[in-house]
Amino acid sequence: MEISRRGFLKISGLTFLGLMAKPGWEVVSQIKPIEPSPAPNYFSGKKWAMAIDLRKCWEAQEGCKECLDVCHRIHNVPSIGYLKEEIKWIWTIPYEKAFPEHIHDFNQEEYKGKSVVVLCNQCDDPPCIRYCPTRATWKREDGIVMMDFHRCIGCRYCMAGCPYGSRSFNWRDPRPFIKKVNLEFPTRTKGVVEKCNFCEERLVQGLLPACVEACKEKALIFGDLNDPHSEIRRTLNGRHVLQRQPELGTKPKVFYIV
Amino acid sequence: MVNKEQILVDKEIPLLEHVRRSGKGFYITVSILTALVLWGIYAYLTQYRIGLGVTGLSRQIFWGVYITNFVFFIGISHAGTFISAVLRVVKAEWRRPISRLSELTTVFILFFGVGSVLIDLGRPDRMLYAIRYAHFRSPLLWDVCSIGTYLTVSSICLYLALIPDIALMRDLGMKKRQWLYEILSLGFTGTERQWHRLEKAILYVSILVIPVMITVHTVVSYVFAMTIQPMWHSAIFGPYFVAGALFSGVATVITIMAILRKVYHLEDYLKPIHFYNLGTLLLAMTLLWLYFTLGEYVTTLYGNEPSQMSIFWSKLTGQYAPLFWLHFALCFVIPFPILANPKTRTIKGTLIASISINIGMWLERFVIIVPTLTRQRIPIEGAIYIPTWVEWSILLGCLSFFSLLYVIFTKFFPIIPIWEIHEGRGKSIMEVRKRIQSYLPD
Repeated sequence: MEISRRGFLKISGLTFLGLMAKPGWEVVSQIKPIEPSPAPNYFSGKKWAMAIDLRKCWEAQEGCKECLDVCHRIHNVPSIGYLKEEIKWIWTIPYEKAFPEHIHDFNQEEYKGKSVVVLCNQCDDPPCIRYCPTRATWKREDGIVMMDFHRCIGCRYCMAGCPYGSRSFNWRDPRPFIKKVNLEFPTRTKGVVEKCNFCEERLVQGLLPACVEACKEKALIFGDLNDPHSEIRRTLNGRHVLQRQPELGTKPKVFYIV
Repeated sequence: MVNKEQILVDKEIPLLEHVRRSGKGFYITVSILTALVLWGIYAYLTQYRIGLGVTGLSRQIFWGVYITNFVFFIGISHAGTFISAVLRVVKAEWRRPISRLSELTTVFILFFGVGSVLIDLGRPDRMLYAIRYAHFRSPLLWDVCSIGTYLTVSSICLYLALIPDIALMRDLGMKKRQWLYEILSLGFTGTERQWHRLEKAILYVSILVIPVMITVHTVVSYVFAMTIQPMWHSAIFGPYFVAGALFSGVATVITIMAILRKVYHLEDYLKPIHFYNLGTLLLAMTLLWLYFTLGEYVTTLYGNEPSQMSIFWSKLTGQYAPLFWLHFALCFVIPFPILANPKTRTIKGTLIASISINIGMWLERFVIIVPTLTRQRIPIEGAIYIPTWVEWSILLGCLSFFSLLYVIFTKFFPIIPIWEIHEGRGKSIMEVRKRIQSYLPD
């Protein structure tokens, strides 16, 4: 049989396409199974949330930072020492910056400059996870927005996606800046993004988040929103509570009681 | 056969001169460019070793020069398609000498556009995760698809239009590189059937590349527009970025033309009329750019939304005001009068306007990207972004590498398509006459 060069190219092209059909289809059609949780049964049907009672927090002793310190200590958050490369999971900002829509000329005296504890809002509709090109950040069944430090490529698009500035980036190797490494929790490498994880490593052991446990004033309340008898539901019930920037439609799960 | 080729070559001597001969200037240029590229590589290695902390970027302003480069370089890549493919499809005869140099700009600058994103990654060793664990909800993946397609199609475009000239080089016989031309010419001998196929292929690819080009800068803008950050989340961003891309792209092509004309003595081929025509195109782009910029800023101002306004004023009167007004001057105030006046739409005039626009458009990308990050909805103080030597060195390295690739290309292939000039001299003059006749009543 005589085959011209053109004919040969045609046949080999078609053969290639034919061979590609099955693997190609598999790539497109594959439905990725949801990432398994560490203890699937324990978390199914849960929806973790936090409420912060600002009155109680403000009543505390001046300069109380128990919740911030314990979080950063157990999660190996480095203290870099300067603003530019700061890494933080939980910190405080002035009231007028946390709730710019709730400050006006006539309540300034009362509220301006009061510190408000902020952390990742663990949004129910988190914008950040949409932007990640590798699914290194995703929302777990129990609503926790997770970070996979081993999959993050460090593009920082999730930081652009988060309207709250809750995410930090490791601008250099963080390990030398950790005072005492907690061996129970992973340290990070340079070039990845990190943020609050609602202490998922403690929840799986049946413990409360470290910040909640550390607060002497009991200003932080944590629990399952799906359980109508949980402490958090009782706390939120019938109260006027604030969320940060609810108009953005992110549905934050950190609530503030004033 | 050789005789016919020889006659053609004798006529178009200056076009092969730069391939055949390399003067002192060539070696000096290559040495300087190589040194700058090595310096850029050293800067990158420093960053790779220590981390992105060596840049001026911070927790708050986490995107800066690299992302600006990304948008700017990808923007320039629109020039090739626009000038070569669009003008080819609309049969603008004056495109002939400039089609290849603009296509070449497209293909080479795309590498640096993509490269800029990779340079910006915190974990470049994991870059392939974006393909392995691809998450198509992320606009970054749309960029990967769109730019990947664009690079492929525009490389094909460039290559197809190179084939007849490669065949010519092969027939002329170049001692050492004969084998290269032999392979790359794909056995093109210039038979009627081959010409017919080639012309058809070029036309198809030219048409195909135009919509791809439009998607490219549209999805680049979506990287920003799809977020809910003030002054990024704007529906106008797609066309605004495409218009800006064509604007800076045409300006870059004019700049490159002016350099090549001078260095390779192509005065007979890159004539004042080409600069005049491209200058007119650039004038239209200047106005289009002004229209989009006004549209963007006026709607923001009138809407008076607090989170938008804090960014708005930081650009117009605040921290970024010097850069903002400088970019406005460079993109409009300086080039507009030069380009609008036919008397100054000369080679020198369009070159000055083009350089001004190129710097202005880089700044434009910068003042679109950076100010928004200074105050995410929750204002945090102390965000001052000053790029460090690493970032400037990498920018310089990218530009030098681009120029180096360009210079090396011109040592292998003629930068002005000989066959297109030849076709223009013969066949096209007849065709154009016929075409004009067909417009008129019989």
